[in-house]
Amino acid sequence: MDPAASRPAVVIDNGTGYTKMGFAGNVEPCFIVPTVVAVNESFQNQARGSSKSSNWLAQHSAGVMADLDFYIGEEAHARSRSSSVYNLTYPIKHGQVENWDAMERFWQHCIFNYLRCDPEDHYFLLTESPLTAPESREYTGEIMFETFNIPGLYIAVQPVLALAAGYTTSKCEMTGVVVDVGDGATHVVPVADGYVIGSSIKSIPISGKDVTLFIQQLMRERGEHVPPEDSFEVARKVKETYCYTCSDIVKEYNKHDKEPAKYIKQWKGVKPKTGAPYTCDIGYERFLGPEVFFSPEIYSSDFSSPLPVVIDKCIQSAPIDTRRALYKNIVLSGGSTMFKDFHRRLQRDLKKIVDARVLASDARLGGEVKAQPVEVNVVSHPIQKFAVWFGGSVLGSTPEFFEACHTKAEYEEYGASICRTNPVFKGMY
Amino acid sequence: MILLQSHSRFLLQTLLNRLHNLEKGVELDYHWVEFDDVRYHVQVSMKNPHLLLLSLSLPTPPPETDFPGGLPSGAIEAVKAAYAGVVQILDPPRDGFNLTLKLNFSKFPPDEERRQALLVKIASVREIVLGAPLRALLKHLTSKTISSDMDRLVALVHRPNESFFVIPQMEKVIVVFPMRFKDSIDTVLATSFLQEFVQARRTAGLNNAPPCLWSSSPPLELKKAPAEALLANAGFVSFVIFPRHVEGKKLDRTVSSLSTFHAYVSYHVKCSEGFMHTRMRRRVESLIQALDRAKPDVEKSKNLANNRSFKRLSLKEAHANSHS
Repeated sequence: MDPAASRPAVVIDNGTGYTKMGFAGNVEPCFIVPTVVAVNESFQNQARGSSKSSNWLAQHSAGVMADLDFYIGEEAHARSRSSSVYNLTYPIKHGQVENWDAMERFWQHCIFNYLRCDPEDHYFLLTESPLTAPESREYTGEIMFETFNIPGLYIAVQPVLALAAGYTTSKCEMTGVVVDVGDGATHVVPVADGYVIGSSIKSIPISGKDVTLFIQQLMRERGEHVPPEDSFEVARKVKETYCYTCSDIVKEYNKHDKEPAKYIKQWKGVKPKTGAPYTCDIGYERFLGPEVFFSPEIYSSDFSSPLPVVIDKCIQSAPIDTRRALYKNIVLSGGSTMFKDFHRRLQRDLKKIVDARVLASDARLGGEVKAQPVEVNVVSHPIQKFAVWFGGSVLGSTPEFFEACHTKAEYEEYGASICRTNPVFKGMY
Repeated sequence: MILLQSHSRFLLQTLLNRLHNLEKGVELDYHWVEFDDVRYHVQVSMKNPHLLLLSLSLPTPPPETDFPGGLPSGAIEAVKAAYAGVVQILDPPRDGFNLTLKLNFSKFPPDEERRQALLVKIASVREIVLGAPLRALLKHLTSKTISSDMDRLVALVHRPNESFFVIPQMEKVIVVFPMRFKDSIDTVLATSFLQEFVQARRTAGLNNAPPCLWSSSPPLELKKAPAEALLANAGFVSFVIFPRHVEGKKLDRTVSSLSTFHAYVSYHVKCSEGFMHTRMRRRVESLIQALDRAKPDVEKSKNLANNRSFKRLSLKEAHANSHS
């Protein structure tokens, strides 16, 4: 038997905002770090600027050292703040890898500095968004097999893993709609029996980052004294700590106006440049931030369908025999669904739409045939934030996983094209 | 990052997390694997939140190494000396592991600085256990005591079924690493990396570093070693350690650098592969750009004109067509 198969597989879920990494078989990822790389680019510019007559060997070795001189995650943020030599690069944008050099470096640090494992010893499970191009999968395979020499690779589709995370021992429900609201992309993906219904995937141009931007804008317009260079980070922290979903905007405004002491929170921070402490108030943005998903018109004028309407459209476009099952199992995943009561609000709004449709059809038929009520169920679980990772961990610890992987031998025989297709998309067509 | 850190990052994070939320009882059960097949297992139960069970499994030793009771010789004493008071060694260890330690958080020193130092030390448990025999040998060098295994060949495990060799002498200790790699490309890269490594030692700034040598055939010191231990596809690296390299605090660093030497080389081989790929990608991109520029402009303008999917017929033509 392959000795690598006896060791736990490495599961890395690269999101736009955060990367979750760890070993299969655990309940939590080992590390959750921001997907960012701080690269030292001072050497590159220098080499170009100076004349060739200077000692090129010294420059060459300095350049080689600079190649190892980078940081990822929280360390990257800290480094770029303390010195101007490092530039921040975000390798993933809107759920797609944009900068492969940075991505390769990011993986390198994930494997050697964070997980500290030998990539030759482990199978790898990586994730991708449902709309990833085949070329990007090929690139991933190439980097993983060529650079890191891994024995086997499986690239899983995030929503399928999120469904697998709800996997309880008694029943394994692999039919459902996954509402994946990440930092960079929002997808509504219907899955039937583990196969993605590719033609019905809906995307929304509003994601976690937009919530942050909206909060930042609200605070700026109210004139809170947040230093401009820090305001995005503060908005992000406010979003993560204080935001919640309200049931009705007008009522919520009234509540805030009646008892400001109860609802308005204080934020304390230190100015990064001068070191002076400051405070600011957090008011309506606590519930207005998440409201962006339910009434997008308050944030952008280009896009105005609320999330529940998009989910409903998505299910209505799926094959008719799967629709009831899809309504029954709507699974939330991604960090931006973590707002308090997000699932309640979603369920209520969706139920309203569905009930209205049932009533309308009853009226049209004139009461001769009664439609069976449709069960709408939004599932939320405490591990929503890393549901995709947990699904990967569950999948990676099954013995079938090692058979489903693309192996190094296959890669050497056929090349990167083995990663082009993903079996979960095949079933329905 | 040039050198690998000696402590396990995840273990340190878990310990810190536990120490900061001591009053909150949680159920923890983590297991993970590090390079060279060192496995960890951490368990905390709801009932005793201030106790933590840490189990460690080591790479399978090759036959030539001395491995009494599933641990390198002197490991138990080293663990006892390093974590006096807070750690208890459980016997027998957890099933499938070589060593199980019971940590008691209530006995940790209250002083923040000392506590941090202790945590880092616990997180580098791998080095304390696996590096124990090497540390003992190097200690003899500083104290100038004559140990029983003078001039004898000592094999120490560092990877599954692989060992490196230590030859203690009166004035110096010679450490020889047979380097093996699975992949053929890795082997080539590692060979040139090691040659470069030996070259780099000769530059002026590194006069005080331990002298090191690389050769493709086994050095003379390994005459007595078993034949199968001498099969190495990337040659042999030997270091000569003098007493000045193990004085005082330098001992810890020397032990950790030597015991992670193979992982260090393998990390840099992977880094250079990544480096080459970056260059290759950049080259491909520039070539594609050049190709795009080389396309004749005629084609472009033609494309624009033919953008409509159907050909518009003039009235006359349409008329003619309908009659034909």
